[in-house]
Amino acid sequence: MSDRTRRFAQSGGAVLAAAAVLALPLVVTDRYLLKVLTFVGLNVIIVAGMAVLFGYAGQVSLGHAAFTGIGAYTCGFLTARAGWPWMTAVAAAVALSALGGLALALPSLRLRGHYLAMATLGFSVIANIVFVEAKSLTGGNDGLSGIPFASVGPVRLDTPWSNYLLVWGAAVVVVALVSGIVRGRPGRAMAALQGSEMGAMACGVDPVRVKVTAFTLSAGLAGLSGALFASAVGFVSPTSFALETSIILLAMVVLGGTRSVAGPVLAAVALTLLTYIDGLIPGLSKTTVAALQDWKGDIYGVVIVGVMLFVPAGMAGLARAWRRKSRSVTGAGEAA
Amino acid sequence: MSLLAIRDVTRVFGGLVALDGVSFDVHEGEIFSVIGPNGAGKSTLFNIVSGFDQPTSGSVSFAGREVAGERPHRLVRSGIARTFQNTQLFEELTVFDNVLAGTFPVTRAGVVAAALRLPRARREDRLAREEAHRLLRMVGLDGEADTLAEDLPHGLRRLLEVARALATSPRLMLLDEPAAGLDSAETRELASVLYRVRDAGATMVVVEHDMGLVMEISDSIVVLDRGCKIAEGPPMLIQKDPAVIEAYLGEEAGDDA
Ligand SMILES: Nc1ncnc2c1ncn2[C@@H]1O[C@H](COP(=O)(O)OP(=O)(O)OP(=O)(O)O)[C@@H](O)[C@H]1O
Ligand SMILES: [Mg+2]
Repeated sequence: MSDRTRRFAQSGGAVLAAAAVLALPLVVTDRYLLKVLTFVGLNVIIVAGMAVLFGYAGQVSLGHAAFTGIGAYTCGFLTARAGWPWMTAVAAAVALSALGGLALALPSLRLRGHYLAMATLGFSVIANIVFVEAKSLTGGNDGLSGIPFASVGPVRLDTPWSNYLLVWGAAVVVVALVSGIVRGRPGRAMAALQGSEMGAMACGVDPVRVKVTAFTLSAGLAGLSGALFASAVGFVSPTSFALETSIILLAMVVLGGTRSVAGPVLAAVALTLLTYIDGLIPGLSKTTVAALQDWKGDIYGVVIVGVMLFVPAGMAGLARAWRRKSRSVTGAGEAA
Repeated sequence: MSLLAIRDVTRVFGGLVALDGVSFDVHEGEIFSVIGPNGAGKSTLFNIVSGFDQPTSGSVSFAGREVAGERPHRLVRSGIARTFQNTQLFEELTVFDNVLAGTFPVTRAGVVAAALRLPRARREDRLAREEAHRLLRMVGLDGEADTLAEDLPHGLRRLLEVARALATSPRLMLLDEPAAGLDSAETRELASVLYRVRDAGATMVVVEHDMGLVMEISDSIVVLDRGCKIAEGPPMLIQKDPAVIEAYLGEEAGDDA
């Protein structure tokens, strides 16, 4: 009964949050802030996929920035150089990133242990070298510029506001779809696998298949985010997709917590805003800003290690424990 | 025709022969027990029948089909469910969610159906939840539905694994020491659950050290010792079998009172 009320309240809350996010441009007039918030939405899309991969399927990836890169370059190249329609280019970008994910996951997940994490790390480094060296496709270190805005038929999304809406519209849809996946049968298989691989197999779960699915899905979503990034910013260069970005993304999903979509999404919002804190809080001293920038990678690294050591289930795990505790207290009250 | 036919199954680990040419048949509707001293090869046999291990030689046929070497998740789908000597529960999930996970092979929704919350996925989900509740009632765990598996009292953990295995809708259940660590009241409860499972139509193979329970519930018993089958028959005959007494005397003299 109370479970049902809670779920009802949750979906109500989710709808309200989505409405608020989409209505935000009505009150936000600052272009810079709007741009930062658009980047927040882009990270939400990636992290929603990584929440499935890490929080449910229990796999660590240090390579998701590379999939974002594949999506960004694919969409950028196809629209700017090959003249493809935007929608088709985005679809190709998602497909190619997902395919990259599949190609990486299949062989490494057949092996045991941490091969996938290692493979993603290597992949991330190699992908960045390709982004720099494949100059005819990517523009090398100078990047790929002149990428057109998103357009559907005659409608061109060429204002910060319309791009904000495009990105957050996609983010809302992605979060809704991902929530359906993790609450449904596929999510149950993943949670089982994380609990006990043998137990999951005894429940008919094929571990390789489930993990590969989660990885492919999350790679595809990273690619979608990259494609939207390319058309919103109009320019892509290798630095955006370096290993450091992958580490930041992992920090978001680890901090956000396991077996939750809301946790990682909130962590993505918070940590992305933190990255742009200098522009958002005007009073901050120059030395503080410089120190934050210098230590960014280390801060996120410390977040990952600290959370994994001391609160392995992350913020979502803390919330679950707290809910259990408050419920058992009221439960005891009712019984008395 | 037998439901499960084990023929000349041998399993060698390095230099150790864990199973040595073991053959027997389990018939539909039976409660069949496999007993024997520690290290006799009982769990190895279960691992082979459930696909977690493969025989070095020999054959395992289930419902007339050769299944040796098939992967565990596929065997579950064809109707072989198991529990583990060391329970393999999903500790951080609730009791209810543990059983719900067991419905995986009898449900179908994939990533797309779940993402779009298609009507058939929702209907299937509702039925799976009802089934999980029914099974919790059947094993007497309905009061613990919201408890985390890791917080469940020891004596109830094995019942939870039985309920989870039942959720896969098995024709054959392999129970590896279901009464280990249970007190006598809990063992009685387990026995009545096993009878209910049999009445619901599942065939069971039980590995168990609690001889009282084995003699009470079994229709037929196979005795293994150091990988070899040393006796087979109904409880009455097994209890008197000199080879069996000999094997047990060597191991756990005085434990049988
Ligand atoms: N994976 C393995 N590698 C090497 N040896 C193994 C392996 N699994 C089992 N064995 C050995 O095979 C023999 C049979 O083990 P098994 O677990 O089947 O015995 P059991 O009859 O289930 O014993 P218990 O009553 O103690 O559970 C033992 O000597 C054991 O050490
Ligand atoms: Mg054993």
